[in-house]
Amino acid sequence: MQAKDSNPPDGGYGWVVVVSAFMVMGLTAAVLKTFGLFFVEIQQHFDELASTTSWITSVTIAIFHLGAPVASSLCVRYTHRAVVITGGLLAFSGMALGFLGLNMVWMYATTGFLQGLGISFSWTPAISIVSHYFSKKRALANAIASAGECAFAFTFGPFFQWLISQYGWKGALLIIGGIQLNICVCGVLMRPLASSCLLQAGHSETETPLGNGASRIDKEDKSPITQKTFNWMLVRRPEFVLYAIFGLLAAMSFFVPPLFLVPLSYSLGIDESWTASLLSILAMVDFAGRLLCGWYANLHVTKTVHLLTMTITLISTSLMLLPLANNYLSLAIFTGFYGFFFGTTVAVHITVLADVVGMPDFDSALGLFMLIRSTGGFVGPPLAGLIVDMAGDYRAGFYMAGATLVLSAGFLVTLDQLQQRKERGIQTNTKPEKSMLPYSSLHLLKLQ
Amino acid sequence: KKFHKQFYKLLLGVSGTSMEKNITLGSAARIELSCKLDNKYSHLKSPQVTWKRGNETIGHISKTKNSWSIQLKILDNSNLGSYSCTLKGEEEISAVFNLQVPKIGGKEKPIVSYEGDTAVMICESLDYTPIAWTWYMTNGSEQIAINDSLLADKYAINRISANVTHLKILKLTKEDDGVYWCEAAFELGKSKGKLKLKVLSFMVPLKPFLAIVAEAVILVTIVFLYEIYSKKKEKHA
Repeated sequence: MQAKDSNPPDGGYGWVVVVSAFMVMGLTAAVLKTFGLFFVEIQQHFDELASTTSWITSVTIAIFHLGAPVASSLCVRYTHRAVVITGGLLAFSGMALGFLGLNMVWMYATTGFLQGLGISFSWTPAISIVSHYFSKKRALANAIASAGECAFAFTFGPFFQWLISQYGWKGALLIIGGIQLNICVCGVLMRPLASSCLLQAGHSETETPLGNGASRIDKEDKSPITQKTFNWMLVRRPEFVLYAIFGLLAAMSFFVPPLFLVPLSYSLGIDESWTASLLSILAMVDFAGRLLCGWYANLHVTKTVHLLTMTITLISTSLMLLPLANNYLSLAIFTGFYGFFFGTTVAVHITVLADVVGMPDFDSALGLFMLIRSTGGFVGPPLAGLIVDMAGDYRAGFYMAGATLVLSAGFLVTLDQLQQRKERGIQTNTKPEKSMLPYSSLHLLKLQ
Repeated sequence: KKFHKQFYKLLLGVSGTSMEKNITLGSAARIELSCKLDNKYSHLKSPQVTWKRGNETIGHISKTKNSWSIQLKILDNSNLGSYSCTLKGEEEISAVFNLQVPKIGGKEKPIVSYEGDTAVMICESLDYTPIAWTWYMTNGSEQIAINDSLLADKYAINRISANVTHLKILKLTKEDDGVYWCEAAFELGKSKGKLKLKVLSFMVPLKPFLAIVAEAVILVTIVFLYEIYSKKKEKHA
């Protein structure tokens, strides 16, 4: 593992931050996932087409991704806590104003734009601060935090339905808005690390390249002042680019299976309640996968990049096998495998990003990564829809998702090869080259 | 008008139990109903099978080897009902065909809306196209038809498509709360679906909302104060 912000707590108050992030994940991502329940109600109330109504969610997801780099650069300037609290207020206002339900455009602006911005400003810093607070136990911490999404999504389904039946969709939106105000409570708990701002300036100079992980030699040339604002130099780093492309391809594939699982299930003759149980199975194994992977990654037995490559391969295998299912039992089993490995991937992919770019650039990297990943998320479902229409079968969608993942794994392998080559380069060059590099005199002075 | 003939068959077999078939007719039709005798009765020399509608016996029965059929022209509501064929013997074995108009499904869950808001109630008849739709509201035990041209600023009835009808109620008040019926008129009769409307005041969701907001504000204050307190402790220590 790499050295990070000097002395991250790696425990103690960090666990409070993890619980706080767990709740933020739930109050943002899980709400977004379950918003589909409002779809029919809103569509019928405004007497609109299904496609027009679905734009609400499209706006939310688009703003969520576009807001991520903005949120991450604001984090660097104004602390994670401030951005999360802002996010909480935005999300709350989005839902609460949605209660007024004046017309469709109003819904786009409130439950679409405001909610999307709020979710973006809450989710991004929450994910980020967990990585700042931990180094050795980072994988476990990230996994636990991300599991919040599954835990909440599991309960929000029936809960939102009950809210809608009691208060109508408008009243339900108001109450959910109030619940989202608790994001601010979680935000207040996210105490900024005093160490991270002060020591980042001298960080790059004191860093010694360690045996594993990406080398820091190329970082030494840049001035430390770039920490303060958004670091566009990231795009010059091949490791980041490779990882971002991996993210793009993976995102293309990730949104497809949930989309086509339900129609595939219906086409096999499975009825509504059994199909709904498939989604519950998905959420449960997702949760289990995230926690288990976090625990395993924490053992530091395998490099996180290798672990990620394995999980991606396992997901694509499950997806390629899923079309073979012809009844409920086989479909449930394959869905279980897919959900489990999906959870393992989600749990570890942020930790891999931190390992690839290092902590000083992590916030900028996270924002940029989310932005690049989002293009994959936008292209994936329509492309899959096109393939399904051409093939006339929902199974084609799963094959496409599996194939895209195999392709993305290729980029991970390339990234790993690049990192290993650089490590070997450092190890062979360390002795003679140390005296030749410009920072070395400063380095020796600091060590004394 | 040319009608396609529809054929329906039931097996007279298991003793004691009666066989039943529901037949839904969207429009006028020519029907042939037949009852076939199960193989276990093939030993009977002259089996007696009668066709009845209610208490009336039907005359023209066409008989083939082991089945008895009747031809029916269903032209209006009076031709619908239950037609049964009965095998006379030690035990009476019968089979019943229920001819009926298409059923309209109502909604189990009430539609929840707010005072001053607009509510949209939807009824659809998926497989069969009705000739006309009528909406009724319930006043006590009476069903009163809703005339949207008379009360144009309160009600609006739109036929979205041949099979779907919308009732829009504007400026909701507490009195609009209750049961509504959508009635589909088919060539052969009428069919009703039940819908419930619940009208709430704004205070209803506002109370839990304010409670949750208060909880969030209190928690934020507590955490904030605790942090200031622990920082002061650190400074003094």
